[in-house]
Amino acid sequence: MGKQKVTIEPVTRIEGHAKVTIHLNNDGTVDHAFFHVNEFRGFEKFCEGRMYFEMPSITPRICGICPVSHHLAAAKASDQIQGSPPPRPANLLRELMHMGQIIQSHGMHFFELAGPDLILGFDADPAIRNVVGLIQANPELAVKAVQLRKYGQEIIRLLGGRKIHPNFAVPGGVNKALTSAERDTILAGSVEAIATIQIGLAIMKDWAAKNMEDINKFAVFPTGYFSLVTSTGSLELYDGDCKLIDQFGQPLEQFNGRQYLNYIAERVEDWSYLKFPYYKKMGWPGGVYRVGPLGRLNVAKQIDTPLANEEFKVFKSLSGGKPIENTLYYHYARLIEALFGVEQVRVLLDDPDIMSQEILNTKRDMTGEGVGVIEAPRGTLFHHYWTNDKGQLERVNMIVATGHNNYAMSTAVDSVAKTYINGQATHGNGNGYHIKEGLLNRVEAAIRAYDPCLSCSTHAIGQMPMIIEMVDPSGLVVDRLQRD
Amino acid sequence: MSLLDIDERIIKIAELADIRATPITDLKEPDESGVEVGILSGAINNTANEEVAKRMRERSKILVALGDCAVFGGVVAMRNFFKLEDALRRAYVQTESTDESGKVPKSPELAVPTKVRAVSEVVNVDIFVPGCPPEADVIFHALSELAQGRTPELKGDLLHWH
Amino acid sequence: MTVKLTINDKEVTVPVGTTVLRAAESAGITIPTLCDHPNLTPYGGCRLCVVEVKGARTLQPSCTLPASNGMVVQTDTPQTREARKFVLTLLFSERNHFCMYCQMSGGDCELQNSAYCEGMTNWPLPPNWQPYPVDASHPHMVLDHNRCILCRRCVRACGELTGNFTLGLQERGADTILVADLNVPWGESTCVSCGSCLQVCPTGAIIDRVSAYQGRQADVQQVSSICVGCSVGCGIELVVRHNTLLRIDGDWQAPVNEGLLCEVGRFMPLEDKRERLLTPLVRKDGALQAATWDEAIGHVVNKLKPLAGENGHGVAALASTRLPAEALYSFKQLFADKLGSGMVTSIEEGATTAVSGQLAQSAGQPIEGDLNMLKTADCVVALGVDLIGNHQVAGFFVKRALPNGTKLVVIDPFENALHDLADYSLRPQQGTDFDLLQAITAHIIALGLAKHEPAHLADLASYTAEEVSRITSVPAETIKVVGQLLATATRPVLVYGRSVMRGGSTKVLQAILELARTIGGLDAEHSRVLGLKGRANSSAAYQYDLDKPLSLKGQQAIYLALGDDQPGQRLAERVQNIPFKVVQACYSSPITAMADVVLPTEMWAEQAGHYLNLEGRLQQARAGLTPPENIRSHVAVFQTIATQLGFSLDDNWQPELSKRVPINLI
Repeated sequence: MGKQKVTIEPVTRIEGHAKVTIHLNNDGTVDHAFFHVNEFRGFEKFCEGRMYFEMPSITPRICGICPVSHHLAAAKASDQIQGSPPPRPANLLRELMHMGQIIQSHGMHFFELAGPDLILGFDADPAIRNVVGLIQANPELAVKAVQLRKYGQEIIRLLGGRKIHPNFAVPGGVNKALTSAERDTILAGSVEAIATIQIGLAIMKDWAAKNMEDINKFAVFPTGYFSLVTSTGSLELYDGDCKLIDQFGQPLEQFNGRQYLNYIAERVEDWSYLKFPYYKKMGWPGGVYRVGPLGRLNVAKQIDTPLANEEFKVFKSLSGGKPIENTLYYHYARLIEALFGVEQVRVLLDDPDIMSQEILNTKRDMTGEGVGVIEAPRGTLFHHYWTNDKGQLERVNMIVATGHNNYAMSTAVDSVAKTYINGQATHGNGNGYHIKEGLLNRVEAAIRAYDPCLSCSTHAIGQMPMIIEMVDPSGLVVDRLQRD
Repeated sequence: MSLLDIDERIIKIAELADIRATPITDLKEPDESGVEVGILSGAINNTANEEVAKRMRERSKILVALGDCAVFGGVVAMRNFFKLEDALRRAYVQTESTDESGKVPKSPELAVPTKVRAVSEVVNVDIFVPGCPPEADVIFHALSELAQGRTPELKGDLLHWH
Repeated sequence: MTVKLTINDKEVTVPVGTTVLRAAESAGITIPTLCDHPNLTPYGGCRLCVVEVKGARTLQPSCTLPASNGMVVQTDTPQTREARKFVLTLLFSERNHFCMYCQMSGGDCELQNSAYCEGMTNWPLPPNWQPYPVDASHPHMVLDHNRCILCRRCVRACGELTGNFTLGLQERGADTILVADLNVPWGESTCVSCGSCLQVCPTGAIIDRVSAYQGRQADVQQVSSICVGCSVGCGIELVVRHNTLLRIDGDWQAPVNEGLLCEVGRFMPLEDKRERLLTPLVRKDGALQAATWDEAIGHVVNKLKPLAGENGHGVAALASTRLPAEALYSFKQLFADKLGSGMVTSIEEGATTAVSGQLAQSAGQPIEGDLNMLKTADCVVALGVDLIGNHQVAGFFVKRALPNGTKLVVIDPFENALHDLADYSLRPQQGTDFDLLQAITAHIIALGLAKHEPAHLADLASYTAEEVSRITSVPAETIKVVGQLLATATRPVLVYGRSVMRGGSTKVLQAILELARTIGGLDAEHSRVLGLKGRANSSAAYQYDLDKPLSLKGQQAIYLALGDDQPGQRLAERVQNIPFKVVQACYSSPITAMADVVLPTEMWAEQAGHYLNLEGRLQQARAGLTPPENIRSHVAVFQTIATQLGFSLDDNWQPELSKRVPINLI
C-alpha cells in the first residue's frame, strides 16, 4: 500500500469553505498537508458590464463576514473612477463604519470562533467545542462576547441602515450623516467594549503563559509582512501607504496602493481556488508575506491610541521588537487591534467634522480606473476596476485579504500536521490509520488562527463530513473513517 | 454566520433546540439518524454543494433555504451569464496580478464548479427565508417557530429579499 | 352621466368611462398594479390588476375595464391572489432581478413591493439566466434590461407625454426588448433627456446616475418647488438628503407641466460644475481678497453714496431674471427708486418682454393666453420659436398632440428643429415674416372666413399670396393652404418667440395679433396667442420696468445682481471699463474675477420666492437647500445696502406685478 491521505472537510469555525488533505507515508508520518480552498465564485468576471457605482453594493455580497471592507474598497475605487475625492467628514464616517467592522469581526473571531479552542481546549468534545459550549461553560463571558460583536454591528447599522450589507458609501462620499444621538449612543457603548476586549486580552495572556510550548512549536516560520501604515508608520486600517517588511523587520517597500501591480503578483496552484500573492521582486516563494493582525503589528512602529499602544509595547517585547512569527499570536494581535478599533471610534467621534453634512463630493470627472485599498480585518484588500468612459466595468481585479495569507496557511497546516500528527496515527480497523480528533482540530486551528474569510475568493458555508480517506497511489480510496 | 446577528437570542435558540452541525460548531454534518430541521445557506455552485444539498435533504425532515443565495441563487448567479470557462480563465489566468503560473485549478481535490442554482432547483425545499442577509429578526422568528414545531410565516416586516 | 357599481360589497358611483381600477381607487380600495400609471393611457399589459366580475367567464384587467351599471366586482379573492402570484412568478422568471444590489430595493421598487404584498418568499420558477445588456451610453441615465418588466410605462411616457417616440419595443413575446429608435445605443438616439421614462419606471430598469444609491425614498426629503430654467415655470420636486440635491422630479400635481420636465430642468442643475463663492471678496491692492460682510457692504455703500441721484453718470444696475420677484422688486426699489438711477434693467434687457409688453400696454388688456391651449390645440403656428431647443416642455405639449391630428405650421427663416415635425414648414426670406403673415391674413379675408375684420383692411390688399410668395420664397399655394387651415381650425394657437421682436420692433408681433384677431383668436375675453418669455422671471422683470437695453456710457459704477445666472463673455466685455463693479453672485466667473466687490448669495434651490411665468401664473418656489454659512439672500443684501444708505425698502412686490400691464394673474 502506498501513501495515504487524510481529509478534513469542511474546516469549521472559519468563514467559507475549505478542506485539508494530509498525505501520510506508509509509516504513518506526514508527507505533506495541503490547504484547499474549494470553491470558485467569479466576481472578476461577472461584474463586467455592471456600473461602477453598483460595486459598493455588489462586492459586499462576496461574504457576510466583512462586507464593509468590500463596500469601502469598492467605494474608494469608485471615487477614483468618478474623479470625486470624498470630503473629509465622509472619510471620517467611512473609517468609523470600518472600525465597527473591525470590532465586530475581531470580537467574534476571538470569542466565538477561536475562543472554544482557547477556553474549552483543543481536545474538548467537538459536540460542545463551539459558541454554545462556551455559553454553557461561561455564560457571563459569552454574553459580553455577543455584546461586543453587537456593538460593532450597531455602529455599522446606525450608519448604513443594517448590520450586514449596508448602503452607505457611494462614489464621492457617503449617503448619511451622523446625528448627535447616534454619536452619543456609540460613545456610550465604547466603555463596555473596551472592558470586554481587556477581558479577552487577559484570557489570551493567561492562555499564552500556560501554553507556551504549543505557541512555540505551533506553525512558527519566517515570512515578510505587509500592511497599510500612517504617514508616521503607525497602525492604520482605513487609508495610508502600503508597507512591506522582510522576515527580520527591515523595510522592503513603501508605496501608494494604487501601484500594487508593480509590487505584488499572484501564483496559481492547481490544488486551490485561492491564489497565492507574493512580493514580485523576491519572486515565488521567496517573496511570501503575511497580512492581517499579526502582519500589521509586525509592520507598525506604534499605535496612535494610548491603551492599544501600551498593549502593543508588551506584545512587541515578546520578540524583542523583531517580527513575531508564531501563528497562534494572531489571536493576541487581533485583540490589540480590536482595542485600537474602539479607541479609534472615540477619536473619530471627538472630531469636530464627524457630524458635518458635507459628506458628498458632487463634482464628477470620469477617469476610467480606480484602485481601492483597505485593511480588512483579515488583511489588505485590493479592488481594481477599469471602466469605459460611461462608467461600465470592463475589467475587475481583486486581491482579497485572506489570499495574502494563503501561503502562510498552507505552511501552517503542513507544519502543524508534521509537528502534531507525525507518529500519532494508529492503525484503525481497516488498512489505514486512525488519528485523534483533537490532533486534527489543531490542524484546523492553524487555519483558524488566520481567521480566513474564504468566501472572498470562493463561496459560503458548506457542511461536509470530516472524513479520513486513505488513498492508494492510484487515487483509489481504500478505506474511509469518520472523525473520532 | 449572520446567524450570530441574532445576538443574545442565540442563547434562547440554544435552549429551544439542540444545535448540531453548523459552521460555528465542530460537527461536520447532520447526524446520520436524521435531524428535524436542516438549514442550507448559499447557492449550489459546484458538485460538492450538490452533494451537501442532497445529503441535507435526506437527513432533514424540514429543509430550510436561508438567505438570497439559497433561495434565489444570489449575486454569484451572475456568473451564469458568462461561460464558466471564461470566468475561470479571467480569475486564474488573465487577471492583471496573476503571474505566469496562471492556470485553471483542476486538482481532483477541488469541487467542480457548475451553473449556479437556487437550492430548490436541486432538491425540494420546504421553507424559504430570503434576505441578503435575512435580518436577525427574521432568522430568529424562523428559528424559534421551527424550534417550537410551527411553520414560520414570513410577511410584512419579516419579508424582504435585499 | 354616472354609473353605479359594487366593488367588494361597496357601492361606488363614478362618471361614465371610468375604469374599474379608478373606480376602486375612488372608493379607497387598492388593486395591485404595475403597468398602470395615472398619467398614462391604460395599457392592460401586466395583468396584475385582475379582478373577478360577476358573470364574466374569466378574470378581467381592472385598468382597462370600463365600469358599468350594476357591475359586481371582487378585487381580492383566492382566484385573483393566485393569478397575481402567477403573473409575478412569470415576471421574475423572465429577466434577472438581483434585488440585493438594486438601488430601488427596499421600498422603492413596485415589482418587489408587489411580490411582498403577495407574500412571495421565493420564485417558483427559476430565471432562465439569459443575460441582458446594460445600456450605459446615456449621459444621465442607465438602462438595465435585466430589470425591465416590459410594462411600457417608459414607452408610453416617451410618446404620450412628450411626443418624442424615442423608446419603443422590438420583437414579440419572450424576445421583446426595449429599444431606443431602431435599436441604437440610448445615448446616440433621438432621446431628448427629459427623463420622463425615469420618473415612471416601476423597477430599477431605468435609474439616474446621480441619485443612485443615495438613499431610498423614505430616507430623502422632497420639497415642492418651481423650476427656474425658463419662463414655463414647471412644478418640480427637489429630492434632498443632508442638504445635497440628489434629483429633480417633475411634480405630477403641477398645473403647468403635469409631471413633465426637460433636460434643463431635470438634469442640468445636477451637472453644475461651477465653483461656489463662499465668502465676500473685496479688491485690495489689485487682488480680490476674502472680506467680512460688513467690510464688503461698507465698501459698496461708500462708493454708491456719492452716486445717488447721478442719473446717467452714476450707478447702472442689472439683475438676473432668475431671481425671485421679491429680490427683483427690492433691486428695482434700491437702484431706480432710491438711488435714482435711470439705468436699472435685467440681464435680458427686455428682449423677450419689451415689445409684447408695449403692445399689451397700448391695448390695455392681456394679449396672451395660457399653456393649456397647447395641450388641446388642433392647429399650432410656431413663429420664430424653437420649442425643441428651449421651453421644451411647451414643445412636448405640441409634439404629443401631432399624432392626434393637430396641424403644426412653423414660420421661421432660421434653422429650427420644429421644421422637421411641421405639416407646413415655412421659411420666409429673412425680414419678410411680416409680409408672410399679412398675406395669410389677407387670404383668410379673401376666403370670406374672417371672424373679425382687421381695422386697416385696405393695407392688406397688396399682400396677395402670389406677390408675397415672390418676396418671401414661400410658395403661394402654401400661403393659401395655411390661411385656409388657420381659418377653419377650431382651437388654433399662435406661439411666438423673441426672434419675431428683433430690433425692438412691434411690427411682426402686431401682424401676429392681427392674424389672431382675424381668425377669432383674440378679443377682450380671450387670446389664442402665446409668447415665450426667456427666463423664469422675465415677466416680473418687465412689470418692474427692468427691461431697458443696458447703456453704460458715462456710468461710474455697475451693480450686477447675477445670482446663479451664467452671464456670457459679452457682458463681461461690456462692463469691463466701468470704474467700480459690484457683483452679487453664487459662482465665480470671468465677471466676478474683474469685480471690485463680490457678494456671495443664495442659489435657486436655496431661495424661496415668487416667479411669474409666461402665462402670468404667479408661482412660489420653496427653498430645498440651506445655503452655506456665510451666504446671504438677495433681498437681505439689498436691504442692508439700503439701510446703510439711509433708505428703507418696502415689500409691495405683489401689487406691483400687474401695475404696468394688466395680466391674468393665474
